[in-house]
Amino acid sequence: MKLTSDVLQLDLQLVETRVKRFIKDYVKKCGTNGVVLGVSGGVDSSTTAAIASLALGGHSVLGIAMPEEETYNATDIQHAKLLAKKFGFNLEIVDASSILKAFFKSLPSYDVADKVSRGNLKARTRMICLYYYANHFNKLVCGSSDKSETMMGYFTKWGDVAADISPLMDLYKTQVRQLALHIGVPEELATKPSTPALWPGHLAEEELGIKYETLDLVLFGLEHFMTTEDIAKQLNLPVKLVDNLKKRWLATEHKRRLPLTAKLGYRTVGLDFRLPYT
Amino acid sequence: MLKEINVALAQISCKIGDKEHNLDVMKRNIKQAKNQGANLIVFPELALTGYVCRDTLYELAEPVPEGESIRRLAEIAKKEAIHVVFGALERSEKAHATLYNTAVLLGPNGFIGKYQKMHLPTHSVFEEKRYFRLGYQTPVFETEIGKLGLIICYDVFFPEITRLLRLKGSQLIVCISASPGVRRTFFETLTAARAIENTAFLVYVNLVGVENGLQFWGGSRIVAPNGKITSQAKYDEEDLMIGKIDYADLKQTETFVPALRDLRPELFTLLKEKAENL
Repeated sequence: MKLTSDVLQLDLQLVETRVKRFIKDYVKKCGTNGVVLGVSGGVDSSTTAAIASLALGGHSVLGIAMPEEETYNATDIQHAKLLAKKFGFNLEIVDASSILKAFFKSLPSYDVADKVSRGNLKARTRMICLYYYANHFNKLVCGSSDKSETMMGYFTKWGDVAADISPLMDLYKTQVRQLALHIGVPEELATKPSTPALWPGHLAEEELGIKYETLDLVLFGLEHFMTTEDIAKQLNLPVKLVDNLKKRWLATEHKRRLPLTAKLGYRTVGLDFRLPYT
Repeated sequence: MLKEINVALAQISCKIGDKEHNLDVMKRNIKQAKNQGANLIVFPELALTGYVCRDTLYELAEPVPEGESIRRLAEIAKKEAIHVVFGALERSEKAHATLYNTAVLLGPNGFIGKYQKMHLPTHSVFEEKRYFRLGYQTPVFETEIGKLGLIICYDVFFPEITRLLRLKGSQLIVCISASPGVRRTFFETLTAARAIENTAFLVYVNLVGVENGLQFWGGSRIVAPNGKITSQAKYDEEDLMIGKIDYADLKQTETFVPALRDLRPELFTLLKEKAENL
Protein backbone atom coordinates (compact mmCIF):
# COMPACT_ATOMS: atom_id res chain seq x y z
CA MET A 1 0.00 0.00 0.00
CA LYS A 2 1.30 3.44 -0.98
CA LEU A 3 0.87 6.04 1.75
CA THR A 4 0.04 9.17 -0.20
CA SER A 5 -2.66 11.75 0.38
CA ASP A 6 -4.79 9.85 -2.15
CA VAL A 7 -5.61 7.18 0.43
CA LEU A 8 -7.37 9.80 2.54
CA GLN A 9 -9.57 11.05 -0.28
CA LEU A 10 -13.25 10.37 0.30
CA ASP A 11 -16.34 9.92 -1.79
CA LEU A 12 -17.71 13.00 -0.06
CA GLN A 13 -21.28 12.69 -1.28
CA LEU A 14 -21.45 9.13 0.00
CA VAL A 15 -19.88 10.06 3.34
CA GLU A 16 -22.28 12.96 3.77
CA THR A 17 -25.26 10.69 3.05
CA ARG A 18 -24.07 7.99 5.45
CA VAL A 19 -23.27 10.34 8.31
CA LYS A 20 -26.61 12.09 7.97
CA ARG A 21 -28.46 8.79 7.87
CA PHE A 22 -26.54 7.56 10.91
CA ILE A 23 -27.49 10.64 12.95
CA LYS A 24 -31.12 10.68 11.86
CA ASP A 25 -31.57 6.96 12.44
CA TYR A 26 -30.12 6.91 15.95
CA VAL A 27 -31.95 10.02 17.11
CA LYS A 28 -35.20 8.44 15.91
CA LYS A 29 -34.47 5.05 17.51
CA CYS A 30 -33.71 6.72 20.84
CA GLY A 31 -36.95 8.70 20.76
CA THR A 32 -35.18 12.00 21.40
CA ASN A 33 -35.90 15.28 19.68
CA GLY A 34 -32.48 16.12 18.37
CA VAL A 35 -28.93 16.69 19.51
CA VAL A 36 -26.98 19.11 21.64
CA LEU A 37 -23.30 19.70 21.03
CA GLY A 38 -20.45 21.93 22.05
CA VAL A 39 -19.56 24.44 19.35
CA SER A 40 -16.05 25.80 19.75
CA GLY A 41 -15.68 27.40 16.33
CA GLY A 42 -13.10 24.74 15.38
CA VAL A 43 -13.35 22.44 12.39
CA ASP A 44 -14.57 19.28 14.17
CA SER A 45 -17.44 20.84 16.09
CA SER A 46 -18.37 23.11 13.17
CA THR A 47 -18.59 20.16 10.80
CA THR A 48 -20.56 18.12 13.32
CA ALA A 49 -23.02 20.94 13.98
CA ALA A 50 -23.42 21.56 10.26
CA ILE A 51 -24.00 17.95 9.27
CA ALA A 52 -26.34 17.35 12.23
CA SER A 53 -28.37 20.36 11.09
CA LEU A 54 -28.47 19.02 7.54
CA ALA A 55 -29.59 15.63 8.87
CA LEU A 56 -32.18 16.73 11.41
CA GLY A 57 -33.00 20.31 10.49
CA GLY A 58 -31.47 23.19 12.41
CA HIS A 59 -34.47 23.39 14.77
CA SER A 60 -33.46 20.01 16.26
CA VAL A 61 -29.86 21.00 16.89
CA LEU A 62 -28.74 23.01 19.89
CA GLY A 63 -25.18 24.31 19.83
CA ILE A 64 -23.57 25.44 23.06
CA ALA A 65 -20.52 27.68 22.97
CA MET A 66 -18.71 27.51 26.31
CA PRO A 67 -15.96 30.09 26.45
CA GLU A 68 -14.04 30.85 29.63
CA GLU A 69 -11.82 33.79 30.52
CA GLU A 70 -8.43 32.16 30.23
CA THR A 71 -8.82 30.91 26.63
CA TYR A 72 -11.46 33.39 25.46
CA ASN A 73 -11.25 34.07 21.73
CA ALA A 74 -13.74 36.49 20.22
CA THR A 75 -13.14 35.10 16.71
CA ASP A 76 -14.22 31.63 17.82
CA ILE A 77 -17.50 33.02 19.17
CA GLN A 78 -18.04 34.93 15.94
CA HIS A 79 -17.40 31.76 13.98
CA ALA A 80 -19.90 29.82 16.09
CA LYS A 81 -22.52 32.52 15.46
CA LEU A 82 -21.76 32.58 11.74
CA LEU A 83 -22.17 28.82 11.54
CA ALA A 84 -25.42 28.82 13.52
CA LYS A 85 -26.85 31.41 11.18
CA LYS A 86 -25.75 29.57 8.07
CA PHE A 87 -27.06 26.14 9.13
CA GLY A 88 -30.05 27.38 11.11
CA PHE A 89 -29.32 25.78 14.47
CA ASN A 90 -29.92 27.40 17.85
CA LEU A 91 -26.86 28.65 19.67
CA GLU A 92 -26.61 29.33 23.36
CA ILE A 93 -23.54 30.83 24.99
CA VAL A 94 -22.56 29.58 28.42
CA ASP A 95 -19.76 31.44 30.14
CA ALA A 96 -17.95 28.65 31.98
CA SER A 97 -15.60 30.99 33.87
CA SER A 98 -17.57 31.18 37.12
CA ILE A 99 -18.21 27.42 37.19
CA LEU A 100 -14.51 26.77 36.77
CA LYS A 101 -13.53 29.28 39.44
CA ALA A 102 -15.93 27.58 41.85
CA PHE A 103 -14.36 24.24 41.00
CA PHE A 104 -10.81 25.50 41.50
CA LYS A 105 -11.77 27.10 44.80
CA SER A 106 -13.50 23.97 46.07
CA LEU A 107 -10.59 21.59 45.53
CA PRO A 108 -8.28 21.51 48.57
CA SER A 109 -5.44 20.09 46.47
CA TYR A 110 -5.92 22.48 43.56
CA ASP A 111 -2.59 23.37 41.93
CA VAL A 112 -2.67 26.25 39.49
CA ALA A 113 0.65 25.16 37.95
CA ASP A 114 -0.75 21.78 36.87
CA LYS A 115 -2.11 22.96 33.54
CA VAL A 116 -3.07 19.51 32.22
CA SER A 117 -5.33 18.63 35.18
CA ARG A 118 -6.69 22.14 35.15
CA GLY A 119 -7.32 21.95 31.39
CA ASN A 120 -9.06 18.58 31.71
CA LEU A 121 -11.35 20.10 34.32
CA LYS A 122 -12.44 22.59 31.65
CA ALA A 123 -13.26 19.83 29.15
CA ARG A 124 -15.21 17.91 31.79
CA THR A 125 -17.07 21.03 32.86
CA ARG A 126 -18.19 21.50 29.26
CA MET A 127 -19.34 17.87 29.22
CA ILE A 128 -21.42 18.44 32.38
CA CYS A 129 -23.12 21.45 30.78
CA LEU A 130 -23.92 19.53 27.61
CA TYR A 131 -25.48 16.65 29.53
CA TYR A 132 -27.59 19.11 31.50
CA TYR A 133 -29.02 20.44 28.23
CA ALA A 134 -29.42 16.93 26.84
CA ASN A 135 -31.40 15.76 29.89
CA HIS A 136 -33.46 18.91 30.10
CA PHE A 137 -34.43 19.06 26.41
CA ASN A 138 -34.54 15.31 25.71
CA LYS A 139 -31.66 15.44 23.26
CA LEU A 140 -28.60 13.30 22.63
CA VAL A 141 -25.12 14.67 23.19
CA CYS A 142 -23.41 14.62 19.84
CA GLY A 143 -19.63 14.37 20.07
CA SER A 144 -17.25 15.97 17.59
CA SER A 145 -14.19 13.76 18.04
CA ASP A 146 -12.27 12.80 14.91
CA LYS A 147 -10.32 9.60 14.30
CA SER A 148 -6.86 11.19 14.50
CA GLU A 149 -7.38 12.59 17.97
CA THR A 150 -9.29 9.56 19.17
CA MET A 151 -6.56 7.14 18.05
CA MET A 152 -3.89 9.33 19.64
CA GLY A 153 -5.84 9.56 22.89
CA TYR A 154 -5.61 13.30 22.37
CA PHE A 155 -8.69 14.18 24.36
CA THR A 156 -9.88 14.41 27.93
CA LYS A 157 -11.15 11.11 29.28
CA TRP A 158 -14.88 11.54 30.07
CA GLY A 159 -14.51 15.12 28.82
CA ASP A 160 -14.75 16.27 25.22
CA VAL A 161 -15.04 12.66 24.04
CA ALA A 162 -18.05 11.94 26.28
CA ALA A 163 -21.13 11.75 24.09
CA ASP A 164 -24.00 9.52 23.03
CA ILE A 165 -22.91 9.46 19.40
CA SER A 166 -19.79 10.64 17.61
CA PRO A 167 -20.67 10.78 13.92
CA LEU A 168 -17.21 11.83 12.69
CA MET A 169 -15.11 9.48 14.80
CA ASP A 170 -14.25 7.31 11.80
CA LEU A 171 -12.83 10.25 9.81
CA TYR A 172 -9.26 11.48 10.18
CA LYS A 173 -8.77 15.19 10.79
CA THR A 174 -7.81 15.93 7.18
CA GLN A 175 -10.90 14.03 6.06
CA VAL A 176 -13.08 16.10 8.39
CA ARG A 177 -11.66 19.18 6.68
CA GLN A 178 -12.63 17.73 3.28
CA LEU A 179 -16.15 17.00 4.51
CA ALA A 180 -16.42 20.46 6.08
CA LEU A 181 -15.74 22.19 2.78
CA HIS A 182 -18.01 19.78 0.92
CA ILE A 183 -21.05 20.54 3.09
CA GLY A 184 -20.46 24.29 3.06
CA VAL A 185 -18.67 25.05 6.32
CA PRO A 186 -16.95 28.41 5.65
CA GLU A 187 -13.32 27.97 4.61
CA GLU A 188 -11.94 30.09 7.44
CA LEU A 189 -13.49 27.61 9.92
CA ALA A 190 -12.63 24.48 7.95
CA THR A 191 -8.94 25.32 7.65
CA LYS A 192 -8.11 26.99 10.92
CA PRO A 193 -5.59 25.31 13.24
CA SER A 194 -7.11 22.90 15.77
CA THR A 195 -7.01 23.71 19.45
CA PRO A 196 -8.45 21.85 22.43
CA ALA A 197 -8.52 25.30 24.19
CA LEU A 198 -7.41 23.90 27.52
CA TRP A 199 -4.90 26.72 28.08
CA PRO A 200 -3.97 29.95 26.29
CA GLY A 201 -2.19 29.42 22.95
CA HIS A 202 -2.91 25.68 23.04
CA LEU A 203 -2.44 24.25 19.52
CA ALA A 204 -2.99 20.59 18.68
CA GLU A 205 -0.24 20.15 16.08
CA GLU A 206 2.34 21.80 18.36
CA GLU A 207 1.43 19.55 21.26
CA LEU A 208 1.31 16.40 19.13
CA GLY A 209 4.58 17.35 17.46
CA ILE A 210 3.42 16.49 13.95
CA LYS A 211 1.28 17.98 11.19
CA TYR A 212 -2.12 16.36 10.71
CA GLU A 213 -1.37 15.72 7.03
CA THR A 214 1.48 13.45 8.12
CA LEU A 215 -0.12 12.08 11.29
CA ASP A 216 -3.18 10.94 9.37
CA LEU A 217 -1.05 8.93 6.97
CA VAL A 218 0.84 7.33 9.86
CA LEU A 219 -2.44 6.40 11.54
CA PHE A 220 -3.90 5.16 8.25
CA GLY A 221 -0.89 2.86 7.95
CA LEU A 222 -1.31 1.59 11.50
CA GLU A 223 -5.03 1.05 10.90
CA HIS A 224 -4.10 -1.09 7.91
CA PHE A 225 -1.65 -3.25 9.88
CA MET A 226 1.48 -1.75 8.27
CA THR A 227 4.75 -2.01 10.17
CA THR A 228 6.24 1.15 11.65
CA GLU A 229 9.37 0.57 9.55
CA ASP A 230 7.35 0.54 6.34
CA ILE A 231 5.36 3.62 7.34
CA ALA A 232 8.50 5.54 8.31
CA LYS A 233 10.25 4.59 5.08
CA GLN A 234 7.35 5.62 2.87
CA LEU A 235 6.77 8.93 4.64
CA ASN A 236 10.45 9.67 5.08
CA LEU A 237 10.10 9.91 8.86
CA PRO A 238 12.37 8.62 11.65
CA VAL A 239 11.26 5.12 12.71
CA LYS A 240 11.47 6.26 16.33
CA LEU A 241 8.81 8.93 15.69
CA VAL A 242 6.42 6.40 14.13
CA ASP A 243 7.18 3.90 16.92
CA ASN A 244 6.31 6.56 19.49
CA LEU A 245 3.04 7.37 17.76
CA LYS A 246 2.17 3.68 17.74
CA LYS A 247 3.04 3.38 21.43
CA ARG A 248 0.86 6.38 22.21
CA TRP A 249 -2.03 4.85 20.26
CA LEU A 250 -1.76 1.54 22.14
CA ALA A 251 -1.14 3.11 25.56
CA THR A 252 -4.31 5.19 25.37
CA GLU A 253 -6.73 2.32 24.74
CA HIS A 254 -8.03 2.78 28.30
CA LYS A 255 -9.41 6.16 27.23
CA ARG A 256 -11.53 4.60 24.51
CA ARG A 257 -13.18 1.87 26.59
CA LEU A 258 -15.36 1.32 29.61
CA PRO A 259 -13.25 0.85 32.78
CA LEU A 260 -11.36 -2.42 32.98
CA THR A 261 -12.62 -4.76 35.67
CA ALA A 262 -11.59 -8.08 37.19
CA LYS A 263 -13.42 -10.90 35.46
CA LEU A 264 -15.46 -12.58 38.19
CA GLY A 265 -18.92 -13.32 36.86
CA TYR A 266 -20.62 -15.31 34.13
CA ARG A 267 -20.82 -12.34 31.75
CA THR A 268 -18.98 -9.11 32.44
CA VAL A 269 -19.64 -5.53 31.39
CA GLY A 270 -16.97 -4.34 28.96
CA LEU A 271 -15.57 -7.85 28.43
CA ASP A 272 -18.09 -10.42 27.28
CA PHE A 273 -21.48 -8.84 27.62
CA ARG A 274 -22.07 -8.41 23.90
CA LEU A 275 -25.30 -6.60 23.34
CA PRO A 276 -26.56 -4.58 20.41
CA TYR A 277 -27.29 -0.86 20.54
CA THR A 278 -30.93 0.15 20.40
CA MET B 1 -41.97 -26.28 -13.79
CA LEU B 2 -42.67 -22.69 -14.79
CA LYS B 3 -40.50 -21.40 -17.63
CA GLU B 4 -40.81 -17.81 -16.52
CA ILE B 5 -41.16 -16.50 -13.00
CA ASN B 6 -41.52 -13.14 -11.28
CA VAL B 7 -39.23 -12.56 -8.35
CA ALA B 8 -39.80 -9.91 -5.68
CA LEU B 9 -36.69 -8.46 -4.05
CA ALA B 10 -37.94 -7.50 -0.59
CA GLN B 11 -35.24 -5.15 0.58
CA ILE B 12 -36.35 -4.40 4.11
CA SER B 13 -34.94 -2.79 7.20
CA CYS B 14 -35.35 -4.80 10.42
CA LYS B 15 -35.82 -3.90 14.05
CA ILE B 16 -33.16 -5.74 16.04
CA GLY B 17 -34.75 -8.44 18.17
CA ASP B 18 -38.34 -7.43 17.36
CA LYS B 19 -39.68 -10.49 15.54
CA GLU B 20 -43.26 -9.29 15.76
CA HIS B 21 -42.42 -6.07 13.95
CA ASN B 22 -40.28 -7.83 11.37
CA LEU B 23 -42.98 -10.44 10.75
CA ASP B 24 -45.51 -7.67 10.11
CA VAL B 25 -43.16 -6.03 7.61
CA MET B 26 -42.59 -9.37 5.88
CA LYS B 27 -46.31 -10.15 5.79
CA ARG B 28 -47.05 -6.77 4.21
CA ASN B 29 -44.35 -7.27 1.59
CA ILE B 30 -45.57 -10.79 0.76
CA LYS B 31 -49.10 -9.54 0.13
CA GLN B 32 -47.88 -6.66 -1.98
CA ALA B 33 -45.57 -8.91 -4.00
CA LYS B 34 -48.35 -11.41 -4.60
CA ASN B 35 -50.62 -8.63 -5.80
CA GLN B 36 -47.93 -7.65 -8.27
CA GLY B 37 -47.72 -11.16 -9.64
CA ALA B 38 -44.63 -12.49 -7.88
CA ASN B 39 -44.04 -16.25 -7.73
CA LEU B 40 -41.13 -15.89 -5.35
CA ILE B 41 -40.31 -13.26 -2.74
CA VAL B 42 -36.85 -13.06 -1.18
CA PHE B 43 -35.98 -11.33 2.11
CA PRO B 44 -32.48 -10.57 3.48
CA GLU B 45 -30.26 -12.58 5.81
CA LEU B 46 -31.62 -12.85 9.38
CA ALA B 47 -34.66 -10.83 8.32
CA LEU B 48 -36.77 -12.18 11.17
CA THR B 49 -34.50 -10.85 13.90
CA GLY B 50 -32.18 -8.25 12.39
CA TYR B 51 -28.48 -8.96 11.85
CA VAL B 52 -26.59 -7.50 14.82
CA CYS B 53 -28.33 -9.32 17.67
CA ARG B 54 -25.14 -10.39 19.47
CA ASP B 55 -25.88 -12.22 22.78
CA THR B 56 -29.64 -11.82 22.35
CA LEU B 57 -29.39 -14.38 19.54
CA TYR B 58 -29.84 -17.17 22.08
CA GLU B 59 -33.28 -16.04 23.19
CA LEU B 60 -34.43 -15.16 19.65
CA ALA B 61 -33.51 -18.41 17.91
CA GLU B 62 -36.18 -20.93 16.92
CA PRO B 63 -36.07 -24.44 15.54
CA VAL B 64 -36.70 -24.66 11.80
CA PRO B 65 -39.36 -25.46 10.70
CA GLU B 66 -41.08 -26.04 14.05
CA GLY B 67 -40.59 -22.52 15.47
CA GLU B 68 -43.61 -20.26 15.85
CA SER B 69 -42.41 -17.50 13.51
CA ILE B 70 -41.51 -20.02 10.82
CA ARG B 71 -44.92 -21.66 11.11
CA ARG B 72 -46.66 -18.29 10.89
CA LEU B 73 -44.74 -17.37 7.77
CA ALA B 74 -45.45 -20.79 6.27
CA GLU B 75 -49.16 -20.13 6.79
CA ILE B 76 -48.85 -16.80 4.98
CA ALA B 77 -46.97 -18.47 2.11
CA LYS B 78 -49.76 -21.05 1.86
CA LYS B 79 -52.50 -18.47 1.99
CA GLU B 80 -50.86 -16.31 -0.67
CA ALA B 81 -49.72 -19.33 -2.70
CA ILE B 82 -46.22 -17.93 -3.09
CA HIS B 83 -42.65 -19.09 -2.57
CA VAL B 84 -40.70 -17.26 0.12
CA VAL B 85 -37.00 -17.23 0.99
CA PHE B 86 -35.90 -15.47 4.17
CA GLY B 87 -33.13 -15.49 6.73
CA ALA B 88 -33.85 -16.97 10.14
CA LEU B 89 -31.95 -17.59 13.31
CA GLU B 90 -32.14 -21.34 13.87
CA ARG B 91 -31.67 -23.20 17.11
CA SER B 92 -30.81 -26.87 17.10
CA GLU B 93 -33.47 -29.09 18.66
CA LYS B 94 -30.70 -31.16 20.21
CA ALA B 95 -28.44 -28.52 21.74
CA HIS B 96 -29.73 -25.22 23.08
CA ALA B 97 -26.60 -23.17 22.40
CA THR B 98 -26.12 -24.52 18.89
CA LEU B 99 -27.35 -21.90 16.46
CA TYR B 100 -27.34 -21.66 12.69
CA ASN B 101 -27.59 -18.72 10.32
CA THR B 102 -30.24 -20.22 8.07
CA ALA B 103 -32.07 -19.49 4.82
CA VAL B 104 -35.59 -20.93 4.81
CA LEU B 105 -37.60 -21.80 1.70
CA LEU B 106 -41.38 -21.88 1.94
CA GLY B 107 -43.91 -22.59 -0.80
CA PRO B 108 -47.64 -22.78 -1.43
CA ASN B 109 -47.68 -26.06 0.53
CA GLY B 110 -45.67 -24.71 3.45
CA PHE B 111 -42.10 -25.52 4.47
CA ILE B 112 -39.89 -26.84 1.66
CA GLY B 113 -36.38 -26.78 3.07
CA LYS B 114 -33.50 -24.85 4.54
CA TYR B 115 -29.84 -24.07 4.03
CA GLN B 116 -27.44 -23.45 6.93
CA LYS B 117 -24.69 -20.93 6.14
CA MET B 118 -21.36 -22.62 5.42
CA HIS B 119 -18.97 -19.67 5.50
CA LEU B 120 -19.30 -17.65 8.69
CA PRO B 121 -17.43 -14.32 8.65
CA THR B 122 -15.49 -13.72 11.83
CA HIS B 123 -13.28 -10.77 11.04
CA SER B 124 -13.61 -7.01 10.96
CA VAL B 125 -17.05 -6.21 12.45
CA PHE B 126 -18.35 -9.76 11.99
CA GLU B 127 -18.51 -12.30 14.81
CA GLU B 128 -20.59 -15.12 13.37
CA LYS B 129 -18.36 -18.03 14.43
CA ARG B 130 -18.75 -16.90 18.01
CA TYR B 131 -22.43 -17.79 17.80
CA PHE B 132 -23.12 -20.08 14.86
CA ARG B 133 -22.25 -23.60 13.91
CA LEU B 134 -21.12 -24.11 10.32
CA GLY B 135 -23.59 -25.65 7.91
CA TYR B 136 -22.56 -28.82 6.07
CA GLN B 137 -25.30 -29.36 3.47
CA THR B 138 -25.79 -27.83 0.03
CA PRO B 139 -29.33 -28.82 -0.88
CA VAL B 140 -30.99 -28.04 -4.19
CA PHE B 141 -34.76 -27.73 -4.11
CA GLU B 142 -36.86 -28.84 -7.06
CA THR B 143 -39.94 -26.66 -7.07
CA GLU B 144 -42.49 -25.47 -9.58
CA ILE B 145 -40.56 -22.18 -9.88
CA GLY B 146 -37.28 -23.89 -10.71
CA LYS B 147 -34.36 -25.73 -9.14
CA LEU B 148 -33.25 -23.45 -6.35
CA GLY B 149 -29.96 -23.33 -4.51
CA LEU B 150 -29.55 -21.09 -1.49
CA ILE B 151 -26.47 -19.30 -0.22
CA ILE B 152 -25.97 -16.60 2.40
CA CYS B 153 -23.90 -13.43 2.09
CA TYR B 154 -20.19 -14.29 2.69
CA ASP B 155 -20.76 -17.62 0.88
CA VAL B 156 -20.63 -15.63 -2.36
CA PHE B 157 -16.86 -15.12 -1.81
CA PHE B 158 -16.37 -18.88 -2.20
CA PRO B 159 -17.07 -20.02 -5.76
CA GLU B 160 -17.04 -23.68 -4.76
CA ILE B 161 -20.46 -23.63 -3.13
CA THR B 162 -22.26 -21.96 -6.03
CA ARG B 163 -20.46 -24.27 -8.44
CA LEU B 164 -21.60 -27.29 -6.44
CA LEU B 165 -25.21 -26.08 -6.40
CA ARG B 166 -25.06 -25.57 -10.16
CA LEU B 167 -23.58 -29.01 -10.72
CA LYS B 168 -26.43 -30.43 -8.66
CA GLY B 169 -28.79 -28.85 -11.17
CA SER B 170 -29.67 -25.49 -9.67
CA GLN B 171 -30.42 -22.83 -12.26
CA LEU B 172 -31.44 -20.19 -9.80
CA ILE B 173 -29.09 -19.30 -6.97
CA VAL B 174 -30.66 -17.17 -4.25
CA CYS B 175 -28.20 -15.24 -2.10
CA ILE B 176 -29.60 -13.49 0.96
CA SER B 177 -27.33 -10.96 2.60
CA ALA B 178 -26.62 -8.44 5.34
CA SER B 179 -23.75 -6.54 3.78
CA PRO B 180 -22.59 -3.19 5.17
CA GLY B 181 -21.84 -0.32 2.79
CA VAL B 182 -18.05 -0.56 2.92
CA ARG B 183 -18.24 -3.94 1.16
CA ARG B 184 -20.53 -2.98 -1.71
CA THR B 185 -17.91 -3.26 -4.45
CA PHE B 186 -17.05 -6.82 -3.47
CA PHE B 187 -20.65 -7.96 -3.62
CA GLU B 188 -21.47 -6.15 -6.84
CA THR B 189 -18.53 -7.88 -8.50
CA LEU B 190 -18.96 -11.32 -6.97
CA THR B 191 -22.68 -11.69 -7.57
CA ALA B 192 -22.09 -11.07 -11.27
CA ALA B 193 -19.12 -13.44 -11.29
CA ARG B 194 -21.06 -16.30 -9.67
CA ALA B 195 -23.85 -15.93 -12.25
CA ILE B 196 -21.49 -15.78 -15.24
CA GLU B 197 -19.12 -18.59 -14.27
CA ASN B 198 -22.02 -20.96 -13.61
CA THR B 199 -24.44 -19.76 -16.30
CA ALA B 200 -27.15 -19.46 -13.70
CA PHE B 201 -29.53 -16.76 -12.53
CA LEU B 202 -28.53 -15.17 -9.28
CA VAL B 203 -30.97 -13.32 -7.05
CA TYR B 204 -29.25 -11.19 -4.43
CA VAL B 205 -31.26 -9.53 -1.65
CA ASN B 206 -29.52 -7.33 0.88
CA LEU B 207 -30.65 -5.64 4.06
CA VAL B 208 -30.99 -1.86 4.44
CA GLY B 209 -31.03 0.33 7.53
CA VAL B 210 -28.56 0.97 10.32
CA GLU B 211 -27.67 -1.58 13.01
CA ASN B 212 -24.95 -0.88 15.57
CA GLY B 213 -23.43 1.79 13.30
CA LEU B 214 -23.35 -0.57 10.30
CA GLN B 215 -25.24 0.75 7.30
CA PHE B 216 -26.51 -1.92 4.95
CA TRP B 217 -26.44 -0.82 1.34
CA GLY B 218 -29.36 -2.61 -0.27
CA GLY B 219 -28.83 -2.70 -4.03
CA SER B 220 -30.64 -6.05 -4.30
CA ARG B 221 -30.66 -7.43 -7.81
CA ILE B 222 -31.37 -10.16 -10.29
CA VAL B 223 -28.31 -11.10 -12.30
CA ALA B 224 -28.83 -12.96 -15.56
CA PRO B 225 -26.47 -15.79 -16.60
CA ASN B 226 -24.60 -13.36 -18.88
CA GLY B 227 -23.88 -11.10 -15.89
CA LYS B 228 -26.39 -8.44 -16.83
CA ILE B 229 -28.36 -6.93 -13.97
CA THR B 230 -31.94 -7.22 -15.15
CA SER B 231 -33.61 -5.70 -12.06
CA GLN B 232 -32.15 -3.68 -9.24
CA ALA B 233 -33.60 -2.23 -6.06
CA LYS B 234 -32.54 1.14 -4.68
CA TYR B 235 -29.33 1.65 -2.79
CA ASP B 236 -29.67 2.26 0.97
CA GLU B 237 -33.47 2.51 1.08
CA GLU B 238 -36.28 0.06 1.62
CA ASP B 239 -37.68 -1.18 -1.66
CA LEU B 240 -39.78 -3.91 -3.19
CA MET B 241 -38.67 -4.58 -6.74
CA ILE B 242 -40.26 -7.19 -8.98
CA GLY B 243 -38.17 -8.69 -11.77
CA LYS B 244 -38.58 -11.46 -14.29
CA ILE B 245 -36.55 -14.62 -14.82
CA ASP B 246 -36.90 -16.43 -18.13
CA TYR B 247 -35.15 -19.80 -17.93
CA ALA B 248 -34.97 -19.91 -21.75
CA ASP B 249 -32.11 -17.37 -21.49
CA LEU B 250 -29.90 -20.08 -19.97
CA LYS B 251 -29.57 -21.96 -23.24
CA GLN B 252 -28.34 -18.96 -25.21
CA THR B 253 -25.75 -18.01 -22.65
CA GLU B 254 -24.53 -21.57 -22.16
CA THR B 255 -23.96 -21.90 -25.88
CA PHE B 256 -22.15 -18.57 -26.06
CA VAL B 257 -19.86 -19.29 -23.08
CA PRO B 258 -20.04 -23.01 -22.22
CA ALA B 259 -18.32 -22.67 -18.86
CA LEU B 260 -19.84 -25.87 -17.46
CA ARG B 261 -18.86 -27.91 -20.50
CA ASP B 262 -15.28 -26.71 -20.15
CA LEU B 263 -14.87 -27.53 -16.46
CA ARG B 264 -11.71 -29.44 -15.55
CA PRO B 265 -12.62 -31.77 -12.65
CA GLU B 266 -9.01 -32.81 -12.08
CA LEU B 267 -8.34 -29.29 -10.79
CA PHE B 268 -10.82 -29.85 -7.96
CA THR B 269 -8.64 -32.58 -6.50
CA LEU B 270 -5.63 -30.30 -6.63
CA LEU B 271 -7.64 -27.50 -5.05
CA LYS B 272 -8.56 -29.74 -2.16
CA GLU B 273 -4.97 -30.82 -1.62
CA LYS B 274 -3.67 -27.25 -1.68
CA ALA B 275 -6.46 -25.83 0.46
CA GLU B 276 -5.75 -28.39 3.18
CA ASN B 277 -2.17 -27.17 3.40
CA LEU B 278 -2.56 -23.42 3.20
